[in-house]
Amino acid sequence: MSLKQVSSFLATPVITGLICGSLFAADPQIGESSLGFESDVLPVLKDKCVRCHNPNDLKAELDLTTGQGLFNGGESGQVVEIGKPEESILFEMLHEGLMPPEGEGTALTKDELHTIERWIKAGSPFDDGTRPGDFLDRVQVNQHDIEPIMLIRCTSCHGRRVRKGELDLRTRESMLKGGKSGPAIVLGKPEESLLLQRIHAGEMPPRDQLIIAGVLPITSSEVDRIARWISLGAPTVDIEPDVATTEPDRMVTDDDRQHWSFQPLPASIDIPKPNRAGNHPIDAFVSKELRRNNLRFNPEADSTTLLRRVCFDLTGLPPTVEMADSFIESSDAKDYERMIDRLLDSPRYGERWGRFWLDAAGYADSEGKRSSDPVRKYAYRYRDYVIRAFNEDKPYSRFLLEQIAGDELADYSDPNQLTPEVIDNLVATGFLRMAPDGTGSDVVNFVPERMEVVADEIDILGSTVLGLTLKCARCHSHKYDPIPHRDYYRLVAVFQGAFDIHDWLKPTSAAGQSDGHFEARSLDVAFPWQRQAVAEHNKNFQPQIDRENERLKSAKAAAQKEKFDKELARLPEKLRDEVRTVVNTAEMDRNDAQKLLFAEYESRLTLTDDELRNTPAYKKVLDEVEAAIKSLKADMQEVPQIRALWDRGEPSPTYIFRRGDHRQPGRLVGPGVPAVLTDGRTPFHPVEPWSGSGKTGRRLAFARWLVEHDHPLTARVMVNRIWKHHFGRGIVASLDNFGQLGDRPTHPELLDWLAREFVTNGWSVKHMHRLILTSRTWRQSSAVSDDHLTVDPDNKWISRMSLRRMEAEEVRDTLIFIADALDETPFGKPDAVNVANDGLVTAVPRNDKYRRSIYLRQRRKEMPTFLETFDLPQMNPTCQNRANSNVAQQALYLLNNRMVRDLVSRFAAGLSAAATDSDSRIQHLYLSALSRQPTEEELVSGRRTLAELEGQWAEYYSEQSEDEKKDPALEAFRVYCHAILNSAGFLYID
Amino acid sequence: MTVQHHHHLDRRSFFDHVGSGLYGAALAQLLGGDLIASESSHNRPVHNLLPQQPVHEPKAKAMIHLFMNGGPSQMDLFDPKPELTKRHGEPYFKKIAGEVEFIDSVGALKRSPYKFRQHGECGMSVSEVMPHLAQQVDDIALIRSMHTTTFAHEHALYKIHSGRMLSAYPSLGSWVTYGLGSENQNLPAYVVLDDPGGLPVNGVENWQAGFLPPVYQGTRFRSTGSPVLDLEPGTEKPEKVVKLQRDLLNRLDNFHRKQRPGQPVLDARIANYELAARMQLEANDTLDLSQESEETLEMYGINDPKTESYGRRCLIARRLVESGVRFVQLYIRSQIWDSHRNLASGLRSACEFTDKPVAALLKDLRQRGLIDSTLVVWGGEFGRLPIAQLAGSNSEKTSGRDHNKNAMVTWFAGAGIKGGTQYGTTDELGFAAEENKVSVQDWHATILHLLGLDHEKLLLERLGLEEKLTHVFEAHIIDGILS
Repeated sequence: MSLKQVSSFLATPVITGLICGSLFAADPQIGESSLGFESDVLPVLKDKCVRCHNPNDLKAELDLTTGQGLFNGGESGQVVEIGKPEESILFEMLHEGLMPPEGEGTALTKDELHTIERWIKAGSPFDDGTRPGDFLDRVQVNQHDIEPIMLIRCTSCHGRRVRKGELDLRTRESMLKGGKSGPAIVLGKPEESLLLQRIHAGEMPPRDQLIIAGVLPITSSEVDRIARWISLGAPTVDIEPDVATTEPDRMVTDDDRQHWSFQPLPASIDIPKPNRAGNHPIDAFVSKELRRNNLRFNPEADSTTLLRRVCFDLTGLPPTVEMADSFIESSDAKDYERMIDRLLDSPRYGERWGRFWLDAAGYADSEGKRSSDPVRKYAYRYRDYVIRAFNEDKPYSRFLLEQIAGDELADYSDPNQLTPEVIDNLVATGFLRMAPDGTGSDVVNFVPERMEVVADEIDILGSTVLGLTLKCARCHSHKYDPIPHRDYYRLVAVFQGAFDIHDWLKPTSAAGQSDGHFEARSLDVAFPWQRQAVAEHNKNFQPQIDRENERLKSAKAAAQKEKFDKELARLPEKLRDEVRTVVNTAEMDRNDAQKLLFAEYESRLTLTDDELRNTPAYKKVLDEVEAAIKSLKADMQEVPQIRALWDRGEPSPTYIFRRGDHRQPGRLVGPGVPAVLTDGRTPFHPVEPWSGSGKTGRRLAFARWLVEHDHPLTARVMVNRIWKHHFGRGIVASLDNFGQLGDRPTHPELLDWLAREFVTNGWSVKHMHRLILTSRTWRQSSAVSDDHLTVDPDNKWISRMSLRRMEAEEVRDTLIFIADALDETPFGKPDAVNVANDGLVTAVPRNDKYRRSIYLRQRRKEMPTFLETFDLPQMNPTCQNRANSNVAQQALYLLNNRMVRDLVSRFAAGLSAAATDSDSRIQHLYLSALSRQPTEEELVSGRRTLAELEGQWAEYYSEQSEDEKKDPALEAFRVYCHAILNSAGFLYID
Repeated sequence: MTVQHHHHLDRRSFFDHVGSGLYGAALAQLLGGDLIASESSHNRPVHNLLPQQPVHEPKAKAMIHLFMNGGPSQMDLFDPKPELTKRHGEPYFKKIAGEVEFIDSVGALKRSPYKFRQHGECGMSVSEVMPHLAQQVDDIALIRSMHTTTFAHEHALYKIHSGRMLSAYPSLGSWVTYGLGSENQNLPAYVVLDDPGGLPVNGVENWQAGFLPPVYQGTRFRSTGSPVLDLEPGTEKPEKVVKLQRDLLNRLDNFHRKQRPGQPVLDARIANYELAARMQLEANDTLDLSQESEETLEMYGINDPKTESYGRRCLIARRLVESGVRFVQLYIRSQIWDSHRNLASGLRSACEFTDKPVAALLKDLRQRGLIDSTLVVWGGEFGRLPIAQLAGSNSEKTSGRDHNKNAMVTWFAGAGIKGGTQYGTTDELGFAAEENKVSVQDWHATILHLLGLDHEKLLLERLGLEEKLTHVFEAHIIDGILS
């Protein structure tokens, strides 16, 4: 081995063998000794690769300008497997034509490719005789190679929170300081270092503590790395975390920012000149595109259609009969606007529009991941927060600030200073707590599972708020969008103050799991008056519970006495008194003889637990007491906790994880935002939110950046979402992907104009509704013409309104509503569901009424069947766009399901009671279910059908016994109603 | 790379093709089909269950997956370990700590309570608790060297079903029906026969379609009563009333549709109501075991309360495959194979529950010639440890075995399989797979291969990623078991 250049790096290469060994399968002497890196390979790399892979740009964390850089590898780990071109990423990327990327330089020639293949096969020789293994050896070991190992293997018990043996292994200093048994490391002497001795002895990490601590055994290569570091004297280097600076970012260029959605939102957008369509700005933009495609607006929908459409759109429920009456008669255009205001003011509005946000946030009432699927007791507070925010028209900017950094907006440490707003801030951060989280169970509370939770939250945030798919960048730089691997981990760092994979909190403290080692991620913040009220309320319960327990105690004593007396009676008479005396004598007062006697007869005279349970009298009391205590406890109150996310002030360092693997840490990074969304010269400045807060302020800085008035994505993504829920299709069809692979906007100027309008009008969502709903564009009829089918089959140009099926909640809520079974109590704990053996999950009614579907419990594994059948998604982790399926199960459900049948009966009974003749019954039915009057034709046909049905029922009942008989007319009407509620006219909105 | 995909039927040409024969040709297209064809989802392909062309000549047309949830113990059923018997009682925990879930109840090495004998021409060793299967060993290819990546039920179940340790990824059956469609348009393509006694761990997630369209999700058939939820009207209605109601609905919908030309989704939904009616007939028919001979019922053990439940499902599985269902998956209530304690008696009763029906299924498929076109796969989500898990006392009788991800056992039978094969080995104690190791993705790739699919080509593009059942993991077809 030539040590010529190595010597300055490695005075004593103590443990060098360990890395190289197996890599030298191919002997460099065999094969083509004429090839050399400097003369043959480097020129090719310089020509084709180093424009991006140089020490400054470091694309994919890779520097190909030197042999050392080549062997340092990149974000995907080693790029050259010596002797094995087919396993070398370098060769694979070139060979597959993946590099250089399209438009970023010319492909390698066949000869060049062949040269690289032969060079790798030949063992990667260097002209100057350096062996490639030397480069691997030379990879310096410093504290940043060691600390990540400590974090995943040791600091769970020897770190910030827990410090077993008074030992902290987080830093070089703390290792030198050591714990109870002395310093953990001795510089230059791995064999004398306690740390390694304990590891080598197999004592650390302790095998029987692994699962409780969420740690997996240390690997031999990690041990070797530690040994090498110690032997080198535990060298440290001064590396600042990689963050954005005022220097231009080299990894993301201005070229990368050319994509339409990465451009800052313009300050103003010109509205196309007024045109025949009228003066509404939306119409101006839309009609411009229509004209260009030789299309024109459809005629306006008639007032009955419009009424039904607007009611479902804003509230998810049909108009009441009174509304229909008054609006349809009216000819005043202002009445339409007044109705919009009325609907927007209705509390039902938030129950519909909040649901869209909950889908995107991935709302669920349980943790998921494990089959136990623990219930999230307080998730509902976030649901209520969202509904309220929509009803109050909370500015979207504020809505985001609270959800992303509510804990950093205001001090919540002093209970006496709390305000409802401060509580809301904390509840809002539930947004970042919605992803499935199985880490409450010890067996899946290892670092990779925690990373999964963080990654899911970043995914939700990315697709919901930014309209970007960040997922790919977790393992490597994004293939299509200019999001480097580095930027993903800068985002991880933003969250690390709260979500620290090395300082974890469990989602809820689950029964039977390691108590104490991990605290629960739940905030106990409440007004003092709340606590008092709860204490006051509960005051009277404890004595009652005590009384019940007393009852049980006496029942036990009675059973015991009975057994004692019975057994005593069986003893020889002369013994009885003596035994009785012994039993009545306190243990310490017994003499030796008594002790003996007691030992002899104790078991015979005492009831075993089994016997006790089988004593009928006792069993009866036990059942009563248990039931009583259960019901008392159910009536007791508790101070609700907050399922929040909060910054804890001391994040562990964040490293890039090569290939997304936490065992392959790369560079140290600091918090930051995706560089492509900035000018690349603006540092990210988190500041402590208020003095003494003990918080990093990272998420607050991030949230403030999101709601800047010219942010490229925030407003565009949200107005597009609003648009989609009004029109069935976004201006950008891919709601969650505004990147390269996403759809392009059909009306880019309109999107920008809407976004700017949104920001200018205080980020008011209701303002956007008013704007859209008053447009001609939205008021068009949904009729499809031949022209539409040829020129605009997908309704891309909005040449008509799109027909849509009711969404899951709309179907269910409407059936409940028209059957007069709707309980409009808002908020609070989710309504219970009943899970039948056959898998049917149904709501449990209260006083024969049901609340709206948004209040039904949504445990991931027990989703209400009704809603699921109509495409309510399972959140894993989020739903950006619900499927709209059309399957036989829906027909079966609406025809045969018991709850539906029950609702239909109530609906029919209500209508029958209100009107006695069949004509007015039919009219009422049409008004309630379809929000319109029947046509003359429908009336005639309905009358005939009812008569036929009635005849059949009468015939049927004539053969039934007296108590089976029902009114044939009512039965006929019920069947008729059931058919109407299965019809397309009911389920589809024009 | 070519994407193996469905006809990206343009919605309009689709309905042009259907024409006016709403209840005729349209049905064939729509049955069971999910018609994502609303205006709002312009660019999504229409997903249906029409038969698809495999990428290569398939060995098997259908598959029955006998899923043994809970983790059957390999060293007590198929992988005898004399060394384990010899070293019974020796402490071993320290060597495998970190691989054990319940560290509070670890015991020493534990021998199998059962005797093994060699069977068939191939001389395969099978435990005494599987006497019926022992008669069929020349038809099966046994793999002793399979392993997985986690010892927690939920995650191991996700892994074996979807290739990932996470929830929300499409299951094997969903991928298969996505790739192949169905031969019978009146029945679901992917049928799950779960235990009337309760759902397995992970519940319905085991057969979910994940990000594949919901039409590829497994449909649960109950093995008694009405097979599909809400298939039957709950109350009795005179036949004539039912007919009147159906006619009324048709009339309403046709009237509605005529006023709205050019709205294909309305056509589709009318056909769906017709499908609901046909499904009612055919689904009920497959469950009608009265069409089977007394000998057949006896062979499956349907007349014996011990085997009735699983026997019924095995027989229904055969009937479904016979009717052209592509993928049938059988589950067992809770986890009868999860032998944490009382292994000696518990494992025996798990075998009593399944052994006879499983053997009967193989025999029956052979007798009917279905074995040449049907693949049968048996196995669970992981294996078990060679050490004992103690239940309170140190008794051998009450002790069991904890989960083990390093070795598990599975077998294949039927189309394309070299019967009598014994593939792969474990170490002398049965703790870890050693020779010819088979990973979960190898297992997946092999199944897809036998069904005429290619794990590298069965793709779905999503969020910029090409999603595959085998993900980015290396996967090899297990050539050693193929005929």
